Amino acid sequence: MSRTEPVVWIVENAGSGPGSRETLACGRILGPDLRLALLDEERLGPYSPGVYAEALGALIVRENGDGEPPSTVVLLPHTYQAAEFAPQLALRLGAAYVPSISGAAADGRGGLCFRRSILQARLQAEVRPRTRAVVATVQSGAFSSDEAPAPPERVVEVCLPADMEGQPERETLGRMAAGAGGVDLPGAERIVTAGRGVGGADEVSVAADLAAALGAELGASRPVVDNGWLPREHQVGSSGHTVAPDLYVALGVSGSIQHLMGMSGSRIIVAVNNDPEAPIFSVAQYGVVGDLHEVAPALTRLLNERAGR
Amino acid sequence: MLPRQQPWENPGLKIGVCIKQVPDSDAHPRIADTGRHIDDREVNWVISSCDLCALEEALLLVEAAEKAGVGRPELIAFSLGPARVEEALRKALALGADRAVHLADADFQGGDALADGRALAAAIDRAACDLVLAGAQSDDLGQAATPAVIAGLLGRPYAWLVMAVELERADSVRIVRELEGGSNEVLRLGLPAVLAVQAGINKPRFASLRGALQARRKPLETVDCTTLGVEAGQVGEAGAGTETTALRVPPTGGGGLLIEGDAPETAATELLAHLEREALL
Ligand SMILES: Cc1cc2nc3c(=O)[nH]c(=O)nc-3n(C[C@H](O)[C@H](O)[C@H](O)COP(=O)(O)OP(=O)(O)OC[C@H]3O[C@@H](n4cnc5c(N)ncnc54)[C@H](O)[C@@H]3O)c2cc1C
Ligand SMILES: Nc1ncnc2c1ncn2[C@@H]1O[C@H](COP(=O)(O)O)[C@@H](O)[C@H]1O
Repeated sequence: MSRTEPVVWIVENAGSGPGSRETLACGRILGPDLRLALLDEERLGPYSPGVYAEALGALIVRENGDGEPPSTVVLLPHTYQAAEFAPQLALRLGAAYVPSISGAAADGRGGLCFRRSILQARLQAEVRPRTRAVVATVQSGAFSSDEAPAPPERVVEVCLPADMEGQPERETLGRMAAGAGGVDLPGAERIVTAGRGVGGADEVSVAADLAAALGAELGASRPVVDNGWLPREHQVGSSGHTVAPDLYVALGVSGSIQHLMGMSGSRIIVAVNNDPEAPIFSVAQYGVVGDLHEVAPALTRLLNERAGR
Repeated sequence: MLPRQQPWENPGLKIGVCIKQVPDSDAHPRIADTGRHIDDREVNWVISSCDLCALEEALLLVEAAEKAGVGRPELIAFSLGPARVEEALRKALALGADRAVHLADADFQGGDALADGRALAAAIDRAACDLVLAGAQSDDLGQAATPAVIAGLLGRPYAWLVMAVELERADSVRIVRELEGGSNEVLRLGLPAVLAVQAGINKPRFASLRGALQARRKPLETVDCTTLGVEAGQVGEAGAGTETTALRVPPTGGGGLLIEGDAPETAATELLAHLEREALL
């Protein structure tokens, strides 16, 4: 094995979300020396970012042994848990931190390069670590799990360093499940979603009218909910519902990764957006470039005419 | 909402808020000739959206403490960036922050979460903040990491995606943290702590004219590497763990059929014909 090739750690079980196969697929691009670190809450105790970062960091340092540490990559899926503690893991390892990568490349001579979105996916950045160690989180859906190699045979379980036991820096008091609120988005066969592009609470009716004409449920992107234009139970995305209807119509939705995570499994995606460069168009089977305040009412009118309404 | 607690005493409690100035999210920034920076000549600069929520939450905490008669916490806004970020700090002062700290050294520029977190941590430590509120994710770099770096360097408890905050005692804070799929967890963190606030936690207020006038008289301090006692090589571009080597406009397309340039009625008719062929109508 070439010396310049990095040791690639795959961290498994860092919260719910995208599985480790995508992370493995990414790891394979970076080097052949794959290792697996397993986070197990039973062994580690309740999660908190400082404790998990320290435990995982200590394990990697220990595995590196004495002498000059090898060039090291630590890959985690970009879950809410991993994204919370990974920056502190990077601190612990003196590593660079590259969050939510959608691409990776290695030149075989030790040079690594990552791709990530910036400016809310308006641009892509090519990012290179300047350190021998790098921690990166892998964006959901960016790597094909079909291309994942077989997981490495040796699995290292992460344990709690002795001096950390019994020192919770934060305490969990309870959990609250998501409220349902009478909207059956996961069960819906058709969904019309209002994005921030609808423009205001009073304008959500353009989406609601089209939903009624199609016999669809009404969905919302996060900003629509955050602004109070629709209640939280309408939200689609990583922090809302995951849906997979037959037909998903996105009105004024840009297509952020967090939104796509909730709806990319839909059979037919239709997008109406006045920005031809909106990322939603790259996942839509049918896209209309135009003002949703003109296109959606036209659709509603035509559908109502067909139905004799 | 969290249940109300007994009033606490907090003489001299200090709340810090991290404010980042970013390009207006409705614009399509152009790539500069360097190929690795954005062309910032035509950019409209605003406060990153989550940071407005962090500031609003801090203002609500100050007001709640005042109302409970337990001493008014001091609210300090921090921003790292070139001269233009003074405008963002003035806005924070107009909204109700008591004073502002501008991390303005030329050596601070061009950093990533590690480098910026280092500089901000030094400034926050110097001001002895008991509670730090920051945004969950900046609207430009979106690293979701700077507050975690600040917490890690200062050795303080940390939470990301915070959706409710309550000072429950002088030495702890009760928060709601968002989980995937819309569920939440309630946590207690000991003070001093760092919280990264998620959009939607509140509805940020607008600055009043009176606030803007008052802001002119509030202190806005400028600090550099020497003031903060940090080495130039540890911050900014020199202290960053990463280097951005190229920027690109993401490839469009890859999707399906695009109906473009038609009148709305025509586009709608065409779309419905496609949906009919898909057996959806
Ligand atoms: C941890 C985390 C979790 C998140 N969870 C979620 C989630 O569950 N769900 C979610 O949706 N987001 C989530 N987000 C937010 C996400 O990052 C985006 O900010 C959000 O999805 C953007 O919503 P949007 O597309 O409606 O708004 P924007 O990105 O602002 O897009 C609005 C779109 O409308 C278009 N438009 C404007 N006017 C018109 C018009 N007249 N006609 C046609 N088009 C128009 C614009 O071109 C633009 O593309 C999360 C973020 C984080 C950090
Ligand atoms: N230059 C900066 N000045 C002040 N605060 C910042 C700066 N960079 C990041 N932050 C804070 O850290 C949060 C997360 O930023 P990021 O890690 O880039 O996603 C922001 O929302 C701010 O609250």
